[in-house]
Amino acid sequence: MGLPALPPHWFQILLALADHDRHGLGVMSDVLEQTGGRMKLWPGMLYRNLAKLADEGLVVEVDAPAGAETGGGRPRFYHLTPLGRRACASEAERLAGFVATARRKKLLKA
Amino acid sequence: MDWVAALVRLYPRDYRARHGAELTEAMRAVAARERAAGGSAVVTGVRLALDAVVSAWVLRTSRLASRASHPGPRISDFAPRTSRLAPRGDSIMQSLVQDLRYALRLLRRAPLFSALVVSTLALAIGANTAIFSVVNGVLLRALPYHDPDRLVVLYEGIGSINQPFGFSPADIGGFRDRARSYEAVAAFRSVEYELSGVDQPERISAARVSAGLMEVLGVSPALGRTFTAEEDTGRQLVAILSDGLWRRKFGGDPSVVGRAVVLDRRAYTIVGVMPPRFTFPNRGPRLNNVPADVYVPISFTQGELRAFGSMYNNSLVARLAPGVTPAQAATEADAITGRLVRELYPAELQGIPLQIRVAPLAEDVVGNIRRILFLLLAAVGVVLLIACADIACLMLTRAAAREREMAIRSALGAGRARVMRLILIETGVLALIGGALGLALAWWGQRVLIAAAPIPVPRAAEITFDVRVLAFTSIVATLAALICGLLPALESAGRESGTALKEAGRGASAGTRQRRILAGLVTAQFACAIVLLAAGGLLIKSFFRLMAIDPGLDAGSVISASTNLPSGSYRSGADVRRFYVELLERVRRLPGVTAAGAATDLPLSVRERRVFTVENPSEASRALGHTVANDWVMGSYFEAVGVRILRGRALSDADTLTSEPVVVVNETLAKQYWPGEDPVGRRIAWGLESNHQPWMRVVGVIGDIKQAGLAAPTEPETWQPWLQMPDQILGSTIVGVFRGMKLMVRAQVPPTTLVPAIRQEVRALDPALPMTGVQTLEEIVGASASSQRFNAALLGGFAGVALLLAAVGVGGVLAISVSRRTQEIGIRLALGADALSVIRMVTRHGMTLVAAGLAIGLPMAFAAARLLRALLFETAPYDAVAFAAAAAALIVVAFLACAVPAIRASRVSPVTALRID
Repeated sequence: MGLPALPPHWFQILLALADHDRHGLGVMSDVLEQTGGRMKLWPGMLYRNLAKLADEGLVVEVDAPAGAETGGGRPRFYHLTPLGRRACASEAERLAGFVATARRKKLLKA
Repeated sequence: MDWVAALVRLYPRDYRARHGAELTEAMRAVAARERAAGGSAVVTGVRLALDAVVSAWVLRTSRLASRASHPGPRISDFAPRTSRLAPRGDSIMQSLVQDLRYALRLLRRAPLFSALVVSTLALAIGANTAIFSVVNGVLLRALPYHDPDRLVVLYEGIGSINQPFGFSPADIGGFRDRARSYEAVAAFRSVEYELSGVDQPERISAARVSAGLMEVLGVSPALGRTFTAEEDTGRQLVAILSDGLWRRKFGGDPSVVGRAVVLDRRAYTIVGVMPPRFTFPNRGPRLNNVPADVYVPISFTQGELRAFGSMYNNSLVARLAPGVTPAQAATEADAITGRLVRELYPAELQGIPLQIRVAPLAEDVVGNIRRILFLLLAAVGVVLLIACADIACLMLTRAAAREREMAIRSALGAGRARVMRLILIETGVLALIGGALGLALAWWGQRVLIAAAPIPVPRAAEITFDVRVLAFTSIVATLAALICGLLPALESAGRESGTALKEAGRGASAGTRQRRILAGLVTAQFACAIVLLAAGGLLIKSFFRLMAIDPGLDAGSVISASTNLPSGSYRSGADVRRFYVELLERVRRLPGVTAAGAATDLPLSVRERRVFTVENPSEASRALGHTVANDWVMGSYFEAVGVRILRGRALSDADTLTSEPVVVVNETLAKQYWPGEDPVGRRIAWGLESNHQPWMRVVGVIGDIKQAGLAAPTEPETWQPWLQMPDQILGSTIVGVFRGMKLMVRAQVPPTTLVPAIRQEVRALDPALPMTGVQTLEEIVGASASSQRFNAALLGGFAGVALLLAAVGVGGVLAISVSRRTQEIGIRLALGADALSVIRMVTRHGMTLVAAGLAIGLPMAFAAARLLRALLFETAPYDAVAFAAAAAALIVVAFLACAVPAIRASRVSPVTALRID
């Protein structure tokens, strides 16, 4: 049995952290870009969910890499844990399954 | 502290310490991103605020929940606290919620007080919102056309006449060709048609318009298209429906374009439907001011295009060319008028003193109503201030009763700000509930106000509750909360806790400062009240002066009804003549009818003004204006409306096409042009001395009628026999004046009982012809004073409410004063003072405050009265009678308000009073 389904905004946050660590603003703009502008994470919601993801062990806070641009204040970056990576991949597979079904039923072009 | 930092402060303290900087940066970045994407700053701000509020709440409640499920201590539990009541470690959010809960509890425990305050605020805020919504819809919103500030209307006038006319068709083309100030010019004229072919025939308002009108206004039809130039010049039967008519009579059928609409029994092809909320013409201007249900091409005939010096009944609307101001357009118009007359007018009309006036369209639409609307807004604002002063007094005394509670809070560490905030939250909650109720009341009140308005309110369909009105209500409610709560809040926060704890236990008299504040509030209330009372008094006196004007008619027992003969069934003048002669004969024979006549205009309204010339004029009369209001009458019109024949005779049905052209003049015309002479037998003619129509003999002089309205100065007037008009003119559809007659029927019985019988007679001649405009002559005369009546009633009503609130204020303050001086009064009574001296003492206290209010308010009233000058009729703004009456009313009501607590004070039992501790 795989990991339980993730809420959409958790999936998008983890996906944004999949290729490298980011700070909060970076996650917001990545999510906006990767969803084609469909999901806007507002600051309060973002940091609240980052805290929950941290509580669940899916992300951790790390220091900013050397030379990273943060826009001011104490830089706080977020890193995808192995558990978080597994959860994100599991969700991506689950969604890919739906896409395959849609293709099979000729809803989507192959 | 900027707004982003304020939002971040909603979060718990430790969370802020960890994430505050990031949150701040992220909020600013989001705001910038949304701005760059063209989003509304307000919407973004609201969403950021909601995000912060929700997140902060979720964080706090999840912590509380996790604390409940994990009852063990957390690290943050060991953070130092200095006071249980106002822990310094709590964020604003938590203490706000605490204070809010406490305020709601207190208000629930005092239901009468809360209900009184909420209902007072609801009424006052509701009145303000209702009036503001009308101001917003009529004055603040732009007209529903493209770039409406660039639209102007143009009028013509002749020399010395104050009131401008419309434009003559003969002048429109010439003006258009010579003017450089406009991108586009279009003409329009309000008419009425009989709409048939759709359930019941009815008369509808219509507008004849140039093909380019919609282009000038910058509005396109929602369905179909506008008129083409060929349809206009070719007089084709095409029509554009308004959205309202389309929905009402055609069921909103999207395939209506191409269908027929029957107007005046002729089929017009529908070529378009205008969008919803499009209104044209607008109410407000002097002429062509009826919003149209249907638009048809104006299609001037050759005759109209050559009618120099007449037919001044079209309105012109134009879009200014880029960079041109209305002032520049007006200067150009002055220059063009001379050229128009010189280059186009025939020789016999050279020298006619033509004028062209240019006015911004918005000003033309709302200019007349602006003053009264702002006056009403000011009046309800004053009523709100007085209501807030009442509530402030109540809150002050309530705060005084809670001195001990506030003292304990202060002793336990609640700062002054916290104590003030508590009071302000209480008033804030009351104002919020009052504001919400007020909004609902305003919705209803606005509908009532518009329906009760004496003249149709311009742009009435655009009066709605939009964001601006809601923002206004919010601001007013916030201001009310501040005004009601600030003084009590300052008072509560200002007392030292030690003093308060000592004094609150002993029931000593109220502090001097508080007495002074209460006295100041009462004085301010009466100062405001006298301003409103004086204004109301002036308008009431003006109304009564107007009603005392003799209209020149005997308005009792007369009924009026109108019919208009459609050209589709009554093609020739002979048809029109036959109908009205027969109708009048039938109506005359009805039982109870003593006189029956008809006219092209209702009494107390003027449609037609003409230039005339006098045969063998005196030297003195040459300098006069030579224009006259004119009407056409038939039957026993003068007898029906009860005018006095001073000399000669009235017109009669013996004055026909085959008899000498005759005319009846009014007393003013007779005195001006034949001073000291008998004008009967003299002759006048339409047109100038150098070129006029055939002479008409004056056969009678009648007493002046206030034909232009009760408030208007009496002008020279003439009446001609309708039966002397040639068939060609009677049957004309250009203006169609002679097709629409207003019956005037005098009866021995109550005139409204004749209506069914008259309708029966109309139906007997034409079963499909609607009869409209049924009203008594008394109603017609009354309508002439309706604006004054409305203004007086509204402002007088507000003044009455203001006085009542102020009386409640002084009565309340005196009652508080008496209750606090009970011991003192008891001592006086025990030492032999009689009841009368106690009454005098208390009343003197109250009336001193009233006198101070009068002293401050009367100069303010004098200053404000000047603003009313334009609204008053034969009443000076400094009318002594009106001011004296207002002051007397205020003193009497205030005296009664003071008497009640004074009499109660005199009945205090000395024994009980001395025992009170």
